[in-house]
Amino acid sequence: MPKTEYLQGALDLLILKTLALGPNHGWGIQQRIRQVAGEALSVSQGSLYPALHRLEAAGIVASEMTASENNRKARVYRLTAAGRRRLEAETADWHLFSLAIRRLLQLA
Amino acid sequence: MFTAILTKLRSLLQRRRVAREMDDELRFHLEMEIQSNIERGFPPTEARRLAYRDLGGVAQTKEAIRDVRMTWVDSLWQDVRCACRSLRRRPGATVAAVAMLALGIGITTAMFTIVDALILRPVPFRDPNQLAFVWMRSARGGRTTVAPAVLHAWQKSPALAGAESAVPDTALVQVDGTVVARGIARVTPGLFDLLGGVRPIRGRLFDASEVRAGINDRVLLSEDIWRSLYHADPAIVGRAVSIDGKPLVVVGVLPSDFRFPSWNTVIWRAVDFGALPGSAANERPKAYVRFAPNVPRADALRIATEAARGADRTNAQRWAQAEPLAGLVLDPYYQRAVPLLSGGVILVFLVLCANVSSLLLARLTARRREFSMRSAIGASRGRLIRQAFVESCVLGVLGVVAGIGIGWALVSLSRTFLPEAFLLRTLNPLNIDLRSLAVTSVSGVVATLAAGLLPAWVGTRLAPDTSLRVTDRGGTETRGARAATHALLIGELALACTLLVGATLLVRSFINLANAERGLDVRGVLVSTMSLSPPAFPNQPSRAMAARSIEEQVGRLPGVRHVAWSYGLPPDGGAISFGDWRSDAPGTPMVHMDVDRYSVGPEFFALYGIPLLRGRTFEPADREGAVVVGERLARALWPGVDPIGRSFSFLEARFHVIGLVKEIHHPSLDATLDRPEFYEPFDGVGSYTMMSIRCGPVCPNAALVRQRIVAAHPAVQVVDVQALEDVYFEQLARPRAAAALGFAFAGVAVLAAAGGLFSVLSYAVGRRKREFGIRTALGASPGQIRRLVLRDGLMVALTGILIGTVTAWSLGRALMSLEYGVTITDPLTWTVVLGLLGFTTVAASWRPARQAMRADPVLLLREE
Repeated sequence: MPKTEYLQGALDLLILKTLALGPNHGWGIQQRIRQVAGEALSVSQGSLYPALHRLEAAGIVASEMTASENNRKARVYRLTAAGRRRLEAETADWHLFSLAIRRLLQLA
Repeated sequence: MFTAILTKLRSLLQRRRVAREMDDELRFHLEMEIQSNIERGFPPTEARRLAYRDLGGVAQTKEAIRDVRMTWVDSLWQDVRCACRSLRRRPGATVAAVAMLALGIGITTAMFTIVDALILRPVPFRDPNQLAFVWMRSARGGRTTVAPAVLHAWQKSPALAGAESAVPDTALVQVDGTVVARGIARVTPGLFDLLGGVRPIRGRLFDASEVRAGINDRVLLSEDIWRSLYHADPAIVGRAVSIDGKPLVVVGVLPSDFRFPSWNTVIWRAVDFGALPGSAANERPKAYVRFAPNVPRADALRIATEAARGADRTNAQRWAQAEPLAGLVLDPYYQRAVPLLSGGVILVFLVLCANVSSLLLARLTARRREFSMRSAIGASRGRLIRQAFVESCVLGVLGVVAGIGIGWALVSLSRTFLPEAFLLRTLNPLNIDLRSLAVTSVSGVVATLAAGLLPAWVGTRLAPDTSLRVTDRGGTETRGARAATHALLIGELALACTLLVGATLLVRSFINLANAERGLDVRGVLVSTMSLSPPAFPNQPSRAMAARSIEEQVGRLPGVRHVAWSYGLPPDGGAISFGDWRSDAPGTPMVHMDVDRYSVGPEFFALYGIPLLRGRTFEPADREGAVVVGERLARALWPGVDPIGRSFSFLEARFHVIGLVKEIHHPSLDATLDRPEFYEPFDGVGSYTMMSIRCGPVCPNAALVRQRIVAAHPAVQVVDVQALEDVYFEQLARPRAAAALGFAFAGVAVLAAAGGLFSVLSYAVGRRKREFGIRTALGASPGQIRRLVLRDGLMVALTGILIGTVTAWSLGRALMSLEYGVTITDPLTWTVVLGLLGFTTVAASWRPARQAMRADPVLLLREE
């Protein structure tokens, strides 16, 4: 299993990528990640919300309470400008990182 | 970023709403998850269980979110609440610590308020560095005033931007039938413009053209006497007030903080030095100048000297000398005493902080297991230090609040105990104002830092392997904590020793002063000063008649034995002559000194018990210039030679000696108050005269005497009647206050140090109880155990006293000006100090030593 730091970085990236497609609430983000990543990357739901709040505290995402379908109150998150920049940077980093790992493995 | 700050702010201010929203968010998540599970085919209860399981615990998630959202303000608030809880758990120690901090902060605040009122408030004149008092200095160092022509020359000089005169004096003010003496200054009208920044609160300043036209009856009053004597009369401007028996017109009222040229000047009279009325015709101006801005000081003085020599030939051998104005107005005693007392206050403050510091250190050390636990869970050293420091901050805040109360009480107390003359000098009636509150806060911060940082640093230093062991009862000290505690104690004792030395010197000075030789018998004497002025007493015969009837009336009072009239009363004499005295001794032509002159009848010496040593007193047949001299004057003018028959002179007056009496003294810290004296024959009751009454065994009440005098002749104005003892006592009042304060400070410091020593030793004994139990079981006698504990205490005390001795010795010179008859090397002082400190140490160590002795080894060992 990959280490926790990589996983935390991966979780942030996943959240940002999901929000890049459009604003969503916490459950929606989790569903999307489950769809895309499947079983390879199991994200405990308990760590999703702290991550979202952490990103909000850092200014990467912004949120507001809305009334969703069925008139239930939900907090909807969206990407800020800083978030978009962060997403690009992190994506580039990940590409470089995975490239380096692949090259290393090929050598061995 | 802006939104991030907004969110943080929002979470701070709207905790409940944020918590509710978090609930809603998670609830929404759970409902959606449950619904999704149901859609996948699970039964509702199973769906619910799965949803909760997958989320992983609602409470934990909320906790995790809160952790992520927590700001440093939140964690600080947490620390504060934790600190309050732990302080509440040990109320005794908390109260002691807060009390000590409050006392330290309170006395600092009170001292600052007093010092601020006296010294720190800036001289309120424009550009005060350019102002100076100028006089002419002769080659021998004598000071003389200048002739009016010189003042005019200086006024025209280009080197000076103005020269004015202000001569201080005392005047009798008659109001509502009573007569009081107040400070007056005769000034040239341009004085206030020279000083700058003086604005009357009523009326106007002097008008130079009025004075030039010969109108010289205009006065300005100070707000103080306007309120106290004239009851804040709104029609004061233009009103005629009676000063020295003459009606003078008030043109304005000056604010109470304007005191010039003397600290007790409350009336200003405009004069033109060319044409002064009456007895002041010979008065010479005292010059105050403002230097021109672009002229260097030396050049300006040279130009002033030339101008003075040109205007007045007698200045040929004299130079102009300048003395800066700022600080001139403060009484010399306070100028010396106040900085020293401030130093004392700071020392006591430090002692109290050190005590609080060792108290906190002891408490933190006792809680080491708690800190080890926190450290093991993951708190960093910095976090632990912050937590420990926050406790000191809470104590500091409480100390500041209580300290304001103590400071206010002390200031109110000082207002009732300080002499009135002192209070006249202050701006407001000594209040705690914004500046004092600022100082309070600053001293609170300093106290917190001083008392809190060291314990926080040392108390959280943990050896992780030993702290969590079960056998550790949480009561042992680390080496660092013990060293810190000992260092604090040594510091406290050193400071206490220094303060004690200072206090002892002050107390001994006071005792010496009180017992000093005065040269005459001051007990059982009442003295009275009276004014018999025209129009009620137009000439000498009327005054003599009034004097006879007064003497008769007063003589009938029970206890009155002798009455004598004079001009001049001990200790100040009637007149003081400053300058050069010439005697006819070979080889010693001129002596520069200040001499008291009395004008007395022959019964004066017998009344005061001044023994006649050689020659005789006055007889009616004596020719002009016959005087009786005191020993000190004789020694100065004719060293080693019999003065009888010799002659001496001062300015144009010549005297010859017919008798020699024992010298009289005015014991005081200010040596300039104790002057040599001589006595001239009494030439009849003048318009301002004094009466001495020897009475016994019990003297009549002063008010009764006053009544009798007025009954004898109603037109007589009695300035005052008092016991001579009280007059001499005035010089003791301030050294007494200083000694009392020094004693109080030293007392507080010694008590605090003793308390610190006691608590540290008790604590150490409690810690080493097991060790003592084992020693006793192995055969040590109780005496040996006791000696062990006493030795600990004495070691610390000796080091502290040694350091304190060295400090006090090196600071000895600072105290010199307040000492009378003792120096820093006085053996009695050191014996008292060392003895007292030794006794305190033994007393503080006694009880812990006895507790150690009493420890029952069986009980202790069974506790294991």
